[in-house]
Amino acid sequence: MLLYLVAANLKMLFRNRQSIFWALLFPLIFVVVFGLFNLDETPTTKVLVVDYSRDQLSKSLVKSLDDIETLKMEEAADEAKARQDLRDGERRFLLILPQGLGEDVAAKRPVKITLIYDESSAVSAVIIGLVRRFVDGANLELADAQPLLNLESQGILSRQTGYFDFLLPGFIGLGVMTYSIIGLASNLAVWREKKIFKRLLATPLRIQTFFAAVIVSFLVLSLIQAAIILVSGMLLFDAHFYGNYFYLLVFVVFGNLVFLNLGFIVGAFAKTVSAASGLGNVVSLPMMFLSGTFFPTDTLPAFLRWLVQYLPLSPLLEGMRGIATDARPLWDFPQEMAILGVWIIVTAFIAVKVFKFR
Amino acid sequence: MATQHAEHDIVVEGLTKRFGSLEAVKDVSFAVRRGEVFGILGPNGAGKTTALECIEGLQEPTAGKTRVLGIDTAAEPWKAKERIGVQLQASAYFDYLKLREILELFGRLYAKRLSPAELLEKVGLAEKIETPVVKLSGGQQHRFAIAAALVNDPEVIFLDEPTTGLDPQARRNLWEFIQRIHGEGRTVVLTTHYMEEAQFLCQRVAIMDRGRIVALDTPERLIKGLPVPYKVRIKLAEAQPPELFKGLEAVMNVQAEADGALTLASSDAARTLPALMAWSNANGRRIDHLEVVRGNLEDVFLTITGRGLRD
Repeated sequence: MLLYLVAANLKMLFRNRQSIFWALLFPLIFVVVFGLFNLDETPTTKVLVVDYSRDQLSKSLVKSLDDIETLKMEEAADEAKARQDLRDGERRFLLILPQGLGEDVAAKRPVKITLIYDESSAVSAVIIGLVRRFVDGANLELADAQPLLNLESQGILSRQTGYFDFLLPGFIGLGVMTYSIIGLASNLAVWREKKIFKRLLATPLRIQTFFAAVIVSFLVLSLIQAAIILVSGMLLFDAHFYGNYFYLLVFVVFGNLVFLNLGFIVGAFAKTVSAASGLGNVVSLPMMFLSGTFFPTDTLPAFLRWLVQYLPLSPLLEGMRGIATDARPLWDFPQEMAILGVWIIVTAFIAVKVFKFR
Repeated sequence: MATQHAEHDIVVEGLTKRFGSLEAVKDVSFAVRRGEVFGILGPNGAGKTTALECIEGLQEPTAGKTRVLGIDTAAEPWKAKERIGVQLQASAYFDYLKLREILELFGRLYAKRLSPAELLEKVGLAEKIETPVVKLSGGQQHRFAIAAALVNDPEVIFLDEPTTGLDPQARRNLWEFIQRIHGEGRTVVLTTHYMEEAQFLCQRVAIMDRGRIVALDTPERLIKGLPVPYKVRIKLAEAQPPELFKGLEAVMNVQAEADGALTLASSDAARTLPALMAWSNANGRRIDHLEVVRGNLEDVFLTITGRGLRD
């Protein structure tokens, strides 16, 4: 009986083109759009150069700076114009090399190199440090001094993860949340408007069986949805998934149950389809932005950050990211599981209270 | 008690349903015999649907007893629902399923079930078995709703305004199917605000107004009970004063119409007509036009409530 209802329900969901678009295609569009941006490439900073000496040393100096990955040296036509560019905000850095650089250095006369920078630029400190280190190194070399202290920096490549890998679980959470809340609530509104609930009430069908079937079919659909997002992200854009797929599934199911309960609650209050999608958005949009679908929540004000961690989407994303990028096991997330568990129980209780079949 | 109602499929006693301060159904009692087509006739808002849904076990009565096939529908709705068929007013079905799929799905909900092909055959939709419900015309959707109500081969079938919103031709067409279903030995209870429908289909009619049953009998006897069961309309070659016909056999009063015709209200047309003919022959007055109109359930409703069914 239950399986039969689930099959019929899935058939309906799959034949409803609009519903299937929101369920499967819409999250895919997110994946593709974000995947096409190269989010992990560090932006290069353009530095204007006014070189008054134009000798071998100054040229090699500029060339060496240009070789640094994050810097792009640009020859400026004249100093006045370059300074104007800085004031206008066109460029943020200007390096001025005085005349006779090579001769002065050969004669061991101190030379003044000027770096003018925009104080409002976030990367100023980094660029100044970079240029200073370069100049220090050049000094040592020119002085023929042997550096006594050497810093050997060893980068350990633990697991290669980038911003897209951070985003992908976010998309899964987003897709599951919006489809479960808005999709379910709209479906319920349609059934209510068409008096389908009442018609079912005229049969010996138990309401609990019907709801169980609805929940199971939405769960199945959302797992397909999550799989499509994950696989497309991995195949099309080389996203990384290091964890256990079963653990991920557990989290998706847990989160989904909360959202389906919320869908029932929204469906209880929304009498029409448009009201259902409107109210569904009111519930899901703030979560989408606050719970860190696109950005980590670390930069939120402390009070908000504290509050946001208890929204149902937050522990879901936290858990999925931990599993996906750090290959952590399920038992690493007792707090997240507990928050979701409490949400499931509380929302189920409210849903049963407020949802009327007729 | 049980033996007294042995031949009754439905027994309603003192049914009352209140929504807050609104009393939708007030102390309604009636019984429906096995194999009968029973109609509840009344204007919109008379409480027909509410009464029906209480009997079906869809709503809980505020007071009173509703028994269907000997089962108390308020106490054991599941048991009753297994054996009754219900067509709801303006209820739709799942848009994205084909007729066969919907009937299979609904069939699964019952212990006893008929095959989709057999059900659609009964309502003349056999060739639409693989069509989604949204692709059906209005009349076909109404017929499908009746097929869906028959899915468990019920002994009693409830039809709530089965032809509302249909054009006259589609309505007549649907009446035939309802008669056919009744011919299979099922008890049919229907609500309607079309007096022709009640008159055509029902063996007995309960007339309902403002939550109460104001009359209950066969359409025949309800009309016979009218103070004026017949109207005889005549148009004479030369106009005559209405008073002239007041003394005619069985004539209760005479009204002059705007077009010069006269309407004689008669308690018995079989006596009025010979008397009228005799008068015409004796006085050499030619009757250009003669029309005998029988009273209908609309007149019954009008006489009892002072209002029309569509008011």
